[in-house]
Amino acid sequence: MSTLSIQNLHACIASQPETEILRGLSLEVPKGQVHAIMGPNGSGKSTLSKVLAGHPDYTVTSGEILMNGESILGMEPDVRSRKGFFLAFQYPNEIPGVSNANFLRAALQARLPDGEELDATAYYKLLYSKMDMLEMDRKFTARSVNEGFSGGEKKRNEILQMAMLEPEFAVLDETDSGLDIDALRIVSKGVNALRGPNLGILLITHYQRLLEYIIPDVVHVMVKGQIVKTGGKELALELEEKGYDWVTETEAILA
Amino acid sequence: MLTQTPEADLGNMASLLETPFIDPTAPEWLQNLRQQAWTDFQNTPAPGRKDEAWRFANLKMLELGQFQPASKISPDAKSGILARSTGLTSIAGRLVFANGLLLARQDISNELQSKGVRFLTFDEAIVAIPELVQQHFMSQRVALGSARLAALHKAKVSTGTVIHVPKNVEVALPLEIFHWLDGQNSTVFPHTLIILGDNAKLTVLEHYQSTNTQAEGLAVAVNDLILGPGANLTYVSIQNWSETARSFQINSTELARDARATNMVVNLGSTYARYESASRMRGPGGRSDMLAVNVASNHQEFDQRTLQDHAQPNCVSDLLYKNALSDFSRSIFAGLIKVEELSHKTDAYQKVRNLLLSDDAEANSMPGLEILADDVRCSHGATSGQLEKDEIFYLLSRGIPEPQARRLLVVGFLNEAIARLGNEDIEQHLNALIAAKSAA
Amino acid sequence: MSTTAIDIDREVGNFTYDIKPYRDSGFGLSEDTIHYISDVKDDPQWVRDFRLKAYQTFLDKPMPTSWATKDLEAIDFSKIRYYLSAQAKTTRSWDEVPDDIKKTFERLGIPEQERKFLAGVEAQFDSEAVYSNVKAAVADQGVIFMGSTEALKEHPEIFRKWFGKVIPTGDNKFSALNSAVFSGGSFIYVPPGVKVKHPLQAYFRINSENFGQFERTLIIVDEGAELTYMEGCTAPKFTTATLHSAVVELVAMKGAKIQYITVQNWSSNVFNLVTKRGIAHEDAEVKWIDCNIGSRLTMKYPGVVMKGRRARGEVISIALANDGQHQDTGAKMVHAADETTSNVISKSISVGKGRATYRGLVHIPKHLKGCKNNTECDALLINTTSRTDTYPAITVRGTGNTTQHEASVSQVSAEQIFYMQQRGLTEGQAMSLSVNGFVNDLVRQFPMEYSVELKRLIDMEMEGSVG
Repeated sequence: MSTLSIQNLHACIASQPETEILRGLSLEVPKGQVHAIMGPNGSGKSTLSKVLAGHPDYTVTSGEILMNGESILGMEPDVRSRKGFFLAFQYPNEIPGVSNANFLRAALQARLPDGEELDATAYYKLLYSKMDMLEMDRKFTARSVNEGFSGGEKKRNEILQMAMLEPEFAVLDETDSGLDIDALRIVSKGVNALRGPNLGILLITHYQRLLEYIIPDVVHVMVKGQIVKTGGKELALELEEKGYDWVTETEAILA
Repeated sequence: MLTQTPEADLGNMASLLETPFIDPTAPEWLQNLRQQAWTDFQNTPAPGRKDEAWRFANLKMLELGQFQPASKISPDAKSGILARSTGLTSIAGRLVFANGLLLARQDISNELQSKGVRFLTFDEAIVAIPELVQQHFMSQRVALGSARLAALHKAKVSTGTVIHVPKNVEVALPLEIFHWLDGQNSTVFPHTLIILGDNAKLTVLEHYQSTNTQAEGLAVAVNDLILGPGANLTYVSIQNWSETARSFQINSTELARDARATNMVVNLGSTYARYESASRMRGPGGRSDMLAVNVASNHQEFDQRTLQDHAQPNCVSDLLYKNALSDFSRSIFAGLIKVEELSHKTDAYQKVRNLLLSDDAEANSMPGLEILADDVRCSHGATSGQLEKDEIFYLLSRGIPEPQARRLLVVGFLNEAIARLGNEDIEQHLNALIAAKSAA
Repeated sequence: MSTTAIDIDREVGNFTYDIKPYRDSGFGLSEDTIHYISDVKDDPQWVRDFRLKAYQTFLDKPMPTSWATKDLEAIDFSKIRYYLSAQAKTTRSWDEVPDDIKKTFERLGIPEQERKFLAGVEAQFDSEAVYSNVKAAVADQGVIFMGSTEALKEHPEIFRKWFGKVIPTGDNKFSALNSAVFSGGSFIYVPPGVKVKHPLQAYFRINSENFGQFERTLIIVDEGAELTYMEGCTAPKFTTATLHSAVVELVAMKGAKIQYITVQNWSSNVFNLVTKRGIAHEDAEVKWIDCNIGSRLTMKYPGVVMKGRRARGEVISIALANDGQHQDTGAKMVHAADETTSNVISKSISVGKGRATYRGLVHIPKHLKGCKNNTECDALLINTTSRTDTYPAITVRGTGNTTQHEASVSQVSAEQIFYMQQRGLTEGQAMSLSVNGFVNDLVRQFPMEYSVELKRLIDMEMEGSVG
């Protein structure tokens, strides 16, 4: 039951119902494990992450998404979040004028029962400890969310939010894209620190490089909106060596 | 080569403000139109001091009592005019008008003619493409204050230019039109109607000039630019009447879907030049660039009113007006970006830059926005300033004398707009005209 | 984003007690009305003459609908009462204020704020101030703070010198109307060198239906002195139109500083047509901080005439236009001396079918040197039906001056909202955070007590209303 279970999922862009992007995708991420999805550009990886988070631009036409046995399909994005789902965005949005500290505080406050106030002292203590882990400057708290951030800072900020919100399942969408090695190391350190029996992680990536820092338990290969191959961490190396054409050909045979 | 055309009749131009142009041989629809326009002209009140569309303007310039109909060009003057009717080196065709009559023409090639391209005078067009003329002649709403003058133009105009480029035809070289004003207190009504079919492409350069730089005169010009889907028009008008003339120019551009218009006005002449330019998006995906380069000196007043009307989604309009103001000159800029309801994904920009070159020069800027849709990117900016002392010093330190250094910097300031034309021949021509005026 | 509007907290002032007026001019406006007001107030003859002359000017001036909204035509001048007072005189103690009126101001938190952080308070109820008091420490420094009706009798030597000089009667139709029927408002004089530490505050309350409030405020801050003045206002929501038309004149003498803060939260039936202008002498500074949240139609363009060398003028403005509201605000900056600088920052938010308009005037005439103006207007549109307009007019002459005007329009993007929702915030909370973020840098310019209040006002109740 403690899984994120995606069953035969079909989805399209809401405004283009004739073009199916996810075409019967299935996979299960149990808590305590790290799964990776690799795939060529245009295979629908980022669509999957948005569909899981409930983005209004996409329509699920059939299939099911269960989190701990409960369907999250009809839920609003914020309800999914409060239920324990987290998406680290590939391109995090900027929110001018809203400080990081206030933003996280509002997100945590939204998780408390009505009438209960967040303990500010404990909050800042926790925030600073997580920021230290991610080697973030204290001045960060006063800056507007993602505004004027470098690519690396944005990605670190995503991991900081994940650390603070303590989700049960997290999808990291191309978290490695645009990072230099130093930034990749810091971000990976943060993710690894959060690994544990209470968190299931799904890494979406185009490159094998990230998987050298965050060792996955399972690797899925996604092509044209479906998982075409699943294996252990060695599958990533094989892909790196042989390229995506190898699986594409495999898929052609399967089809 | 220019070919002289037979002399036409001026019609009853005996009284300027007492009757419309009466031509019993014209088609009935046109006679009716002229009569109706004359009634409109008489019934439309002249703008008053409280009229927002004329804020800051010198309303005395609207008193037209002193002006008379233009008379025929003398043979002596004619040869001078023809000699001076040169602009670009490579062109596809040319029309030369003086005092409202066609003097000479350089026809477009047989190849273009066989493709259906028409480069006609108004009277020829009425016969050759009557439906198109009837559909588009003065069909644009005059929204920026000069409805009364537009009615006068409509009632009085006797000839003009009609250009039609049919579907999928591209005219590589520019067409040129010259309008000359000759004699003291003469009046002309230059008229240009350009109609581009789907995906047609054309560049037009229009010159407004006086034979005598000291003669007072009046010009009320109308340019209607109609772009079909995917059409691409570059239109440049150079207002260089005598420095004592009054110029009114009403410019309208209508863009169908995916059309692209680049519209530039250059103001050099006239004591008072009013320029109204409206760009209307009539289909999604269009783009309109509105450019102006204004070089004002002495007591010149350049009064410009613009409208970027976004009635459709996914369109871009980008306006850049540059004013270089010397001596006692004044500029007025009133622009409006109007984004109608549901015109989403609109990108609309409006910039006016004033360079004040003397203590008595004055810049008035009224950049406006009216936004009724939320998914848009719109901005406007208006600045007024002067040449940077450091920049002048830098040029002086390289041995360039101060007047020349200033001229160079002014040309540089104006170049931002000129360069957006992306046509080297026209850029060179304009830069030469601006240099000539700056040196004067 | 959907087209439904969001509600903001305008309920705070939406209550009324049935209070019998002590004086009532009755409906409509005529010379008799003016004589009635002058009789009741026991005006000196020059004031009565001033009013009668202004009344003629008011009649002569057309409604400014050639450039302003046609909604002005909804004002029926014959259906308004021009003078209502609930008690005979202004008191210096809350204990002497009649119970229901006292309860009104207590519900609005005025006596509490006075105790906490204000140097003095004047509370106006319909046409007259019911309470006016300035703390002893401030009064001892020679600061005068009283109703303008009292001041024109008690301090005519200062009052007459400046009254109607910053804003002439004929400035516009509504300044003429105010000049004809004015009643209430504050008079403040700060002697040379006195820096009043805590703000003085006026609170304007409309209690009665079909009523017009026409307060007149005159503030003179003498050489090197400093003052912060704040005004707030509320009215209950009636079904008929209510009119508020104030005239506020500020005079900052050499080196003086005036900061004038307004939080306008009239109910959505109020026409709020206000003329505000300050004169800044040499090295003086006049700063208007203006927040417009309420009213049906507000037309207000605070101005500064920079008369002395190096004078500074500033307008910081926040406007929130909700469904059925039109916030037509802006700034007028008139440079009349060398090296004067002005700065205008305006942010507006249009929600639902709300409309926010910015009108600006910057004037730098001939032969001034070293003048600068900077203007920034940013508009945020929340719904597809929201509207914003910007109409600046900038005149600058000569080679010694620079002006810069920039305006932009943006929206709260759907992606931004989704991002925040993914972190667990509801759509309403996400919208509220974005909007507060948009105005955040301006809200910080308000004194702390007010910025908290402002955030609360702007913090919109949006659950279930967008998306």
